[in-house]
Amino acid sequence: MPGQGIWSGTISFSLVAIPVQLVKAVEPGRVSFRMLHNRDYSPLLRKMFCPEEEKMVPTDEIVRGYEIGPDKYIVVTDEELESVSPERSRTIEIIDFIDMKEVDSIYYDHPYYLVPSKGGEKAYSLLVEVMHRTNKAGLAKFVLGEREYFVAVKSTEGALSLVTLHYNEEILPDEDMVPKERDVEPEEKSRIEKTIKEMTAGFNPDKYADERRKKITKLLEKKLKEKAPVEAPEFEEEEGEGVVDLVAVLEESMRTMKKNR
Amino acid sequence: MEVAGIRLSLSNLEKDLYPSYGFTKAHILEYYRRISQFILPHLKDRALTLKRYPEGVEKEFFFEKRCPSHRPSWVKTAEIPQNDGERMTVCLVNDLNTLVWVENLASLELHVPLARADSPEAPDSMVFDLDPGDQADILDCARVALMLRGLLSQLQLASYVKTSGQKGLHVYVPLDREETTFEDTKRFSKAVAEVLQHNYPDLVTAKMAKERRIKKVFINWSQNDSSKTMICVYSLRAREKPFVSFPLAWNELENLAGQGDPEKMQVTYSEAMSRTEKEGDPFREVLVTKQKLPYL
Repeated sequence: MPGQGIWSGTISFSLVAIPVQLVKAVEPGRVSFRMLHNRDYSPLLRKMFCPEEEKMVPTDEIVRGYEIGPDKYIVVTDEELESVSPERSRTIEIIDFIDMKEVDSIYYDHPYYLVPSKGGEKAYSLLVEVMHRTNKAGLAKFVLGEREYFVAVKSTEGALSLVTLHYNEEILPDEDMVPKERDVEPEEKSRIEKTIKEMTAGFNPDKYADERRKKITKLLEKKLKEKAPVEAPEFEEEEGEGVVDLVAVLEESMRTMKKNR
Repeated sequence: MEVAGIRLSLSNLEKDLYPSYGFTKAHILEYYRRISQFILPHLKDRALTLKRYPEGVEKEFFFEKRCPSHRPSWVKTAEIPQNDGERMTVCLVNDLNTLVWVENLASLELHVPLARADSPEAPDSMVFDLDPGDQADILDCARVALMLRGLLSQLQLASYVKTSGQKGLHVYVPLDREETTFEDTKRFSKAVAEVLQHNYPDLVTAKMAKERRIKKVFINWSQNDSSKTMICVYSLRAREKPFVSFPLAWNELENLAGQGDPEKMQVTYSEAMSRTEKEGDPFREVLVTKQKLPYL
């Protein structure tokens, strides 16, 4: 079974409603680093600094401002943002079925899988099969977190995948990028066509790998063999299950609180 | 007796329900009448659990969750679904008449859930019930309450504290999102309790077991449950003396903790009446503050 779902609800259209969970489809391959203090290797926090008063600003003194010009802002409160956020929803309602070929890859944002929840397996398999056979994707609006997304649901290798799409207004106009038409020599055109034909191959993603990531991983392995890792003070394994993020946040707040005493 | 145009027949007014202190049912009715404008907003639309002491605080008591069938017709009620799927009729103390009627039943203590009767699964507060173990006292609770407040304010959550009227303190974090569930508040409060235990192992425990509580304050996060109730702010407690569950301002708590006298933390019924008449309801913020749990 895939990991815990990011969201659960139903995918529906017409009279069909299938309980599903949304799970991650990709794990970005970036190797990430924590910033440490070079003296005792404590993990460092990002704090907000006021250059005017030359001091750290506590979170309860921080507000959000939308910049409208030099030194001019509109302050927006949490409540105001909240009031324009969409209602949480438990359905992915398919509005239209389209041909995925019509969607240029420039619209693709982020991929997920939809997996069937208990009781939805049969209907799910049926939908996967039919969508695969008809080669159609469902377009839907879908609220995740604070935002409403425009998404395409399609059949991918025996499962349903969901890709969030960019809204049209997010796509930069390409007029400036398209060169003005010029006369093309017919023989030049056919030469390029021929080259492309010769170089045509199947899509085989296994052939490609992130070389830098490989090298960094190798470097880390080598360093670990040569020398024991440095340890931050008070580093302890936290007990408790499933609340890793919250606990990390609380521990971090606890540390700042102790320092401020 | 007539309250707001409705006649109530009151019984046993002379009965001393706090015998070692000398506090009769008439005193109790008078207390609740005078505190009514402050306590009613906190009782409103919540399923009341009556804790009745018909023979006084030194004798037997019983809990009554179901609204007595002999109730007057004007008592507002709600239907609450129970675990077995059955529905139960509960009293809603939404007006002075009902409050007086309930007190005439010698329900000295008024217990209410953290959610309203029309949305019993959606808490509008998260609570930390600080309970001192053996050899710990309310001063230790005050230290823990102040740490809790500090930690919560780091997360931009405002919190409010009241005495339990017994040995402990209750820290409330008001919430206003309908979709918050007891599962959320339980998970959040448990994580907070465990982080405090981890950082102050000599003072705090997040574990229920009595033997783990010696000299420590138990942060009872498990009160964040639809089946649990909390003593309502301004309710009397059935102890030797008529103490009240009463709100304290944070700086007041800090001062009292500094003075080191646990008795000074307790608020009697008379202090409760004079303070609310002067200062209003300091716990009102719990009903009006708008905030949501982060990192969930």
